[in-house]
Amino acid sequence: MGLTIVVSVKAVVPYVNVIRLDPKTRSIIREGVPTMLNPADKVAVEFALKLKERFGGRVITLSMAPPIGKEALESLIGMGVDEAYLLSDRAFANADTLATSYVIANAVRRLIPKFDILIFGEESLDAATAHVPAQVAALLDIPYLYYVIDIKEIDMTSGKAVITRVINDEGVYETYEAKLPISISIHKHAVRPRDESLIRKIDAKLKGVVRIIDNSALNLNPGCIGAAGSPTVVTGLHEMKLPPRKRQLFKGNAREAAKWLFDNLIKEGVIDA
Amino acid sequence: MNVKCPEWEEVNKNEYKGYWVYVELKNGKPSEHSLQLIGKARELADKLGTYVGALTFGGGKDEDLPRLLYSYGVDKMFIIKLRNVDKYTPIVYGKAIAFIVHKYRPDAILFPGAGRGRELAPYVAALLRTGITADCVDLDVDVSTGDLIQFKPTFGGNIIAEIRIPNRRPQIVTIRKNAFPTPDPHREGEAEVIVEEVELKDERLRQIDSRKVEIREERPLEASDIVIGVGRGVGGRDGLELISKLAELLNAAIGGTKRAVDAGLIPPERMIGETGKYVRPRLYIGIGISGALQHVVGILNARVIVAINTDENAPIFQFADYGIIGDYREVVKELIRLIAEKRKVVTGL
Repeated sequence: MGLTIVVSVKAVVPYVNVIRLDPKTRSIIREGVPTMLNPADKVAVEFALKLKERFGGRVITLSMAPPIGKEALESLIGMGVDEAYLLSDRAFANADTLATSYVIANAVRRLIPKFDILIFGEESLDAATAHVPAQVAALLDIPYLYYVIDIKEIDMTSGKAVITRVINDEGVYETYEAKLPISISIHKHAVRPRDESLIRKIDAKLKGVVRIIDNSALNLNPGCIGAAGSPTVVTGLHEMKLPPRKRQLFKGNAREAAKWLFDNLIKEGVIDA
Repeated sequence: MNVKCPEWEEVNKNEYKGYWVYVELKNGKPSEHSLQLIGKARELADKLGTYVGALTFGGGKDEDLPRLLYSYGVDKMFIIKLRNVDKYTPIVYGKAIAFIVHKYRPDAILFPGAGRGRELAPYVAALLRTGITADCVDLDVDVSTGDLIQFKPTFGGNIIAEIRIPNRRPQIVTIRKNAFPTPDPHREGEAEVIVEEVELKDERLRQIDSRKVEIREERPLEASDIVIGVGRGVGGRDGLELISKLAELLNAAIGGTKRAVDAGLIPPERMIGETGKYVRPRLYIGIGISGALQHVVGILNARVIVAINTDENAPIFQFADYGIIGDYREVVKELIRLIAEKRKVVTGL
């Protein structure tokens, strides 16, 4: 039997500079923008694959994304993932983190009802909110933990796992006993992701391994998804306001430059004479 | 759009009053991060004519907490005492917060956007089916609608998105450390104390061990008075060695840009900027940094900004008080010599 492990992943835009915002809808223009798999999600997939190697079972990935998100899922098949679902529908678009979590939670409930562990990356490269793992846990009413670095043991008969996580800014390692199912997000540096096999990836593409699920399959209430299901609203976009700076420039000999700077810093009172 | 999610409880905005801060206690004392949020909450509450609440687990060992928190601007303390639970788990803490929120209906809750705050806030928001915004750089209120206006840099940092939660309450935000200054204690008195005993057990998750690892950080990035930021323009490790000497003399912390992290010059936890840390030093010296906005958002609150770069068109000079166009190696060497001379220190240069 083994474990049923679900990894929720996200395709992100690698170079922030190519991002533009639609002035009307105030949402990001995604058409024509290249995407890549969120790096932290690769760590999450690696964590899942290692669990599968130790305890047996299967790894299923899912991603809520426009059709282009399919490619990221195919590359994960290349890493060794068994199955993949792309949750894609115009009705899911312009969602904030709660509306996104609603789709993911319900997709898991319907498509993989007997999952044991739901895994996320620590945060996304683009929005970096780290909201979704906790929000999905709340919606599914299952326990959750952030910053996980290891699952020491899993007792398959009792369905209990021993999980270690680290809270960096406190310098604290904590160990928990959890009754599965659980939602966890994996610490960015927990494991190093393996390379993907090109052959498996091409195979995935040819065989159409990634299953595309739209809202006709999930049948979610339009009021709970997309913009309508999002409590947060972007009400404006502003140029960043920068505090005024002196902008004094010095060009020339290094010794004079250093002296000029040193004198100014003393005058400002920011270094001790 | 008029479609409503039937799973959401109706919210009457007028029933929600007060600006709350989730106050983390460390050895019974509020964390500096929490105090920064209290300062901002006070300012916003005054605009709305409402109170500031502090939410804590346990009273802390400090008997003077109500007096201390009051001095920073807190009017009411809401202390959660968990019955039969002695160790943190996010689900029990999160559900306890949701319970208290349901009872006292605060208009907004500010969470420290680090560690446990980052773990708890989205869970609480989802339990309450309300909105949450992460890592705001500024907050304001719209007095006419009563909405909290949340400012958050997006996608590269040159655009600040203004976000609101117009129809749900409470409005939940997380705030990065150093986004706001630490307020001065300025009031004499004592906060009203409300203790809520909560019976909440969830055996599905139990903390069975906790170990503190002493991370001896000599000069923590977020708390240093002087910060030196390095960019890709620093070159290799030899350049960094020279900069470390300057840092030692100035007792400065070294951080840097994402590109410096990618180049292996500094560890990821030393990254400054939109996806890294925010700093608020009295002096920031940027070396070999071009000045991408993703980085600059993290240094905006520095009192004095210095930039050293060979490229006179580098955008960093737009954000700097003092800019030197030239080879940083030469300039830093001279700077080290000058400082050492003044202090009569032997540098070996």
